Amino acid sequence: MLEAQQLWAAVLAYVLAGSGAIFGVVLRRNWQRLILGLMVLGLACHTASIVVRWDRLGHGPFITMFEILSSNVWSLMLAFTIAYWRLPAIRPSAAVVMPILFLMMGWLLMTSPKAGHFPPTYHTTWLFIHIGFGKVFLGAVLVAVGLSGVVLMRATVWGRDRFQRLPADGRLDELAYRCMALGFIFETLMLIAGAIWAQDAWGRYWAWDPLETWAFVTWLTLAFALHARATSRLSPQAASWLVVAVFVIAFLTFFGVPFVSTSPHKGAV
Amino acid sequence: MSAASTPSRALRGRLWRLLSRLASLKLTLAILVLLAVGVVAAYLSDTRTVWALVLPLTLCAINLMAAIASNGIFRRQLPLLVFHLCLLALIVLVALGRMTYLKGQLELTDGTWFEGQLSAVEAGPWHFGRLDQVRFASDGFRIDYDPGMRRGPTRNAVRFLDASGAVGQAVIGDQTPLTLCGYRFYTSHNKGFAPTFAWTPAGGAGSVTGSVHLPAYPLHEYRQARNWRLPESGIEAWTMLQFDGALIDPERADEFKLPAEHVLVLRVGDRRWTLQPGQYVVLPGGRLTYQGLRAWMGYTVFYDWTIPWLLAAAVSATVALGWHFWRKFASQPWDGVEVPDGDGNA
Repeated sequence: MLEAQQLWAAVLAYVLAGSGAIFGVVLRRNWQRLILGLMVLGLACHTASIVVRWDRLGHGPFITMFEILSSNVWSLMLAFTIAYWRLPAIRPSAAVVMPILFLMMGWLLMTSPKAGHFPPTYHTTWLFIHIGFGKVFLGAVLVAVGLSGVVLMRATVWGRDRFQRLPADGRLDELAYRCMALGFIFETLMLIAGAIWAQDAWGRYWAWDPLETWAFVTWLTLAFALHARATSRLSPQAASWLVVAVFVIAFLTFFGVPFVSTSPHKGAV
Repeated sequence: MSAASTPSRALRGRLWRLLSRLASLKLTLAILVLLAVGVVAAYLSDTRTVWALVLPLTLCAINLMAAIASNGIFRRQLPLLVFHLCLLALIVLVALGRMTYLKGQLELTDGTWFEGQLSAVEAGPWHFGRLDQVRFASDGFRIDYDPGMRRGPTRNAVRFLDASGAVGQAVIGDQTPLTLCGYRFYTSHNKGFAPTFAWTPAGGAGSVTGSVHLPAYPLHEYRQARNWRLPESGIEAWTMLQFDGALIDPERADEFKLPAEHVLVLRVGDRRWTLQPGQYVVLPGGRLTYQGLRAWMGYTVFYDWTIPWLLAAAVSATVALGWHFWRKFASQPWDGVEVPDGDGNA
């Protein structure tokens, strides 16, 4: 099937880009242009795969675990590729980010690509707005976690040696803070759009279903991290641990809740 | 200095110190942790744990009010002030909403009017709504099914009385509620068959028409029967709907529909009848006529006057925060970012 071939091609390009990023750091080689090219190639193949599937099924990648993972790998790759392209100084942080995406790609390839039922409550523009905001949020936090991972790895001799080309910890911390602030805005917008959609679709704007609950816990954790960063003199390492905590909770919310819930919003479909 | 002004100044000083403590930024962090713990506790608990949310939200409101009143940064940074005022407004609105909301369910037979009665209701203690003034009737509905009996869009034609008493018409379903007097009526996934009867008391009084709502279809496809009681007679009856084949074909796209042919089984005490539309039985105290089969639709109703204000406060908070971060970050490009000094200036 064409869409499967395109997806495999995309994963191959991503894996080559990620491997290049990791070995580039380990071997102190500068393959950044090649890595960026592979990322863009992977994104092009992945976009084609999603478009073909969308056309075949008549709905976007919003229903099954396969679709949720695929669309999030795509959006996270897009967010990180933009950061990689626009912020050359932080490019070695790809060695931290890409293994996270490798995990998701492995999970994606082990998931059944079978189509799911597109519920009538999903026939709304708010679905796209809600999910779009969520993807920007997670993309921003992914870039932040890459920077924070570098800060934390530089606490070791090996990491200090391998990531010495990157800006100082203070600058990375400030950039991560900016990404987290951007993520906070978009997570808030995601919650607002989700509430508008839920009110129209299910007659309530908030019902503490598993995804709503954990999305709110993520929002509180992000608010805590930003507030702590703005009001206390946190060291870059302490601030980095907060970024990692936010990412872990956000990741579990996006991809862990489907394990305890039969649908993205349990009982609401 | 007068003797009276000294204690007054001391009192003011104590109050100011109290306000400063309540406005503490470290307290804010503790409240955020408490709120997250409360949310998780409420989520994991099987019982109602309202206080797990109410306590931290109350503390949060006090902390916000104290901070807005005492922290000079809010007078220097307007976007930050607007953001925190909006957060405070959100907490107050959520509290007011919970005190005045209504959530309920109802079932309506096609062709009959809703007259204010709900089959299940949950409301805040300060809910003094006008549900008894709401009138609407279902004029039938269409629900598509994809192969595998997967429910598709619902389109429910309704008539309603508007504020001036005129009859209006609308089609509701899925994303489109019917909104009357602030109450939002949503079609639910519950719907089924409603055998309709006319009960004519033996004394010559006027007949009463009513429907029996059988269990939801196709959810309870094989349990299309129920007990009910005849009006003002105390007679217990049992009714079962029988028809051949599957009404909704699981192999192809189909839609919800009434059976083309059916019989209705009626049992009262030891006696049992099989009825077609138009047939009747004579019971002690009157005559029961089976008029025919209709459909019923289940609705959920929701009332919360704070919804538009919540939206306005949430959007304003987000815009204000975006404005704050924009001002903070715009002075330096992202690829040339410097570490800010202690005052937050790069």
